[in-house]
Amino acid sequence: MIRRGVLLVLGAVWLIPVYLLLVNAFRPSTEFDVSKIWVPDPDFGFIDNVRFAWDAAGLGPSIGSTLLYSVASPAIAVVLGAMAAYAIVVLRLRAGFWWFILLFGGTIFPTQMLLIPLFLGYSSADLYDRRLGMVLIYTAVCVPLAALVLRSFFTGVAYSIYEAARVDGASIWRIFWRIYLPLAVPALGAVLILSFVFVWNELLFGLTLSQGETVRPMMTALLSLSSAYAGSTVPVVLAAGLVMSLPTVLVFLGAQRIFARGLALGQF
Amino acid sequence: MSVATATPTRSPAAPAAGGRAGQSDPGAPWGALGFGSPGALGVLLLLYAPFLYTVVLSFTEYDGLTSPQWVGIDNFTRFFEDPAMGTSVRNTLMWVVGTTLVPVALGLLVALLSFGIRGGTLLRLPFMLPYALSGAGLGVIWGFILQSGGAANDILGALGLPGADTSFLLEQPWNTISMIVAWTWQQTGVNTLFFLVGLQSIPKEPLEAARLDGATGWKLFRHVIWPLLAPLTTVVVGLALVASLKTFDIVWVMTQGGPGRNSETLAVTMYRDAFVAGEYGYGSAVAMVLTLTTGAVTLAYLRRQVKVREDLS
Repeated sequence: MIRRGVLLVLGAVWLIPVYLLLVNAFRPSTEFDVSKIWVPDPDFGFIDNVRFAWDAAGLGPSIGSTLLYSVASPAIAVVLGAMAAYAIVVLRLRAGFWWFILLFGGTIFPTQMLLIPLFLGYSSADLYDRRLGMVLIYTAVCVPLAALVLRSFFTGVAYSIYEAARVDGASIWRIFWRIYLPLAVPALGAVLILSFVFVWNELLFGLTLSQGETVRPMMTALLSLSSAYAGSTVPVVLAAGLVMSLPTVLVFLGAQRIFARGLALGQF
Repeated sequence: MSVATATPTRSPAAPAAGGRAGQSDPGAPWGALGFGSPGALGVLLLLYAPFLYTVVLSFTEYDGLTSPQWVGIDNFTRFFEDPAMGTSVRNTLMWVVGTTLVPVALGLLVALLSFGIRGGTLLRLPFMLPYALSGAGLGVIWGFILQSGGAANDILGALGLPGADTSFLLEQPWNTISMIVAWTWQQTGVNTLFFLVGLQSIPKEPLEAARLDGATGWKLFRHVIWPLLAPLTTVVVGLALVASLKTFDIVWVMTQGGPGRNSETLAVTMYRDAFVAGEYGYGSAVAMVLTLTTGAVTLAYLRRQVKVREDLS
């Protein structure tokens, strides 16, 4: 009983920011007043707020790019990671363990150690402020987790499946594409979700490697929207933040169990 | 790079293996190379190469226009003499202490309270929601709550507590402390999740035995559950440690390290020196300091933990 009470009180405290976010994101931006933030406004201004953020602050153009980055990069990374894991575990790649260390070692570098050379290199290779450049870096960052998870997954698949398919004359590419990849769908799903959330929420690469309204990811757009000089009001910024958080909140709530498993494998 | 290299290496892999069918299995050596290299190449080109180049750049002076000038360890001596460095290191330390203690402790508390009671999932929901927010989203919400005369001031005023007139984001050290509060709001949920996994894996027998011996509440926790959770706690604190040393998003969105530079963390200092001031050599040196600190702290922490456990056993 006491446990439940403590949890309820603490949970209520935790919900205060959520309440403030909702109330003020739904308030018409002309009605905003710092002294009245606690009381909901009878007028519904959410749609207008989002529309303003969408048009005036350039959230619209960047949503397409963000979707591209957060879907394409994890998808490519998962295939590349699965291919590497297949090579190491099933095809018995020579020095396979070191290949794995090489791939997984990619996760230990702090982003700060990568930014400057990437920025300089992208500028000279004409990848700066291009969608291709953003897809490339996000893919590379997502590969290690995919390799890690799929390596342990493929280790659990009976080797006789591979041998039998070889005897039947299937090429190694066909075995990968038609047998191993479909088998790994649950693992692939977990990695895809984690990578999607990571790329969707990412700010630092976007800030450093892109600039234009159509290329930069949405978190960067939100940042410039929230800076004082953008001339936007608090309800507009909050509405934009709310809209941009919805996909990850929904994915997260829908896949809590997958998340827990993914987290157990290494926080991303 | 990974995309570009994937296509050409992929297609020869299949015929090569097809031609060798039955010969070199289980080896398929060329096929294996073809499958392994696209991912490895991407990681090498986009993660390893930049990392190494940052190491080189940290010993140079480079403005991005003229070629880099070798200056030895000048960047590092400059860093340690820079007055802004003191603030930055102090703030980073506050982040480390604050975020390894508070969200982890609260996460453990929520996990313990909600474990095994009916409706536990529902009662945990408020703590789980914020975790899905991005650092930028978090910064936007809490920037609004903490603004001068905003919600935080209202609450403190209504409760009759001091701080109703504090401009949380403008005054040192309140800006760092209040950002740690925001971070705690977000991170408690994930720590709860970790500890729940841990609690589920605790074997039932020692708990039953302790209960039979009359241990309840605090005693049960202190002498039975806490020691059993210790390995997991090590991991959770370790992760919080590494994350806190690299804190960037929330600070950049809420204060941009200001006012002046007084809420900067090392990660923010690095970004500002490199991309606002355009000093790529010096920025690389700050990135190096950040990385070496993270590595050293993590190593020291893990070694201490291992030692403590050996002493116990």
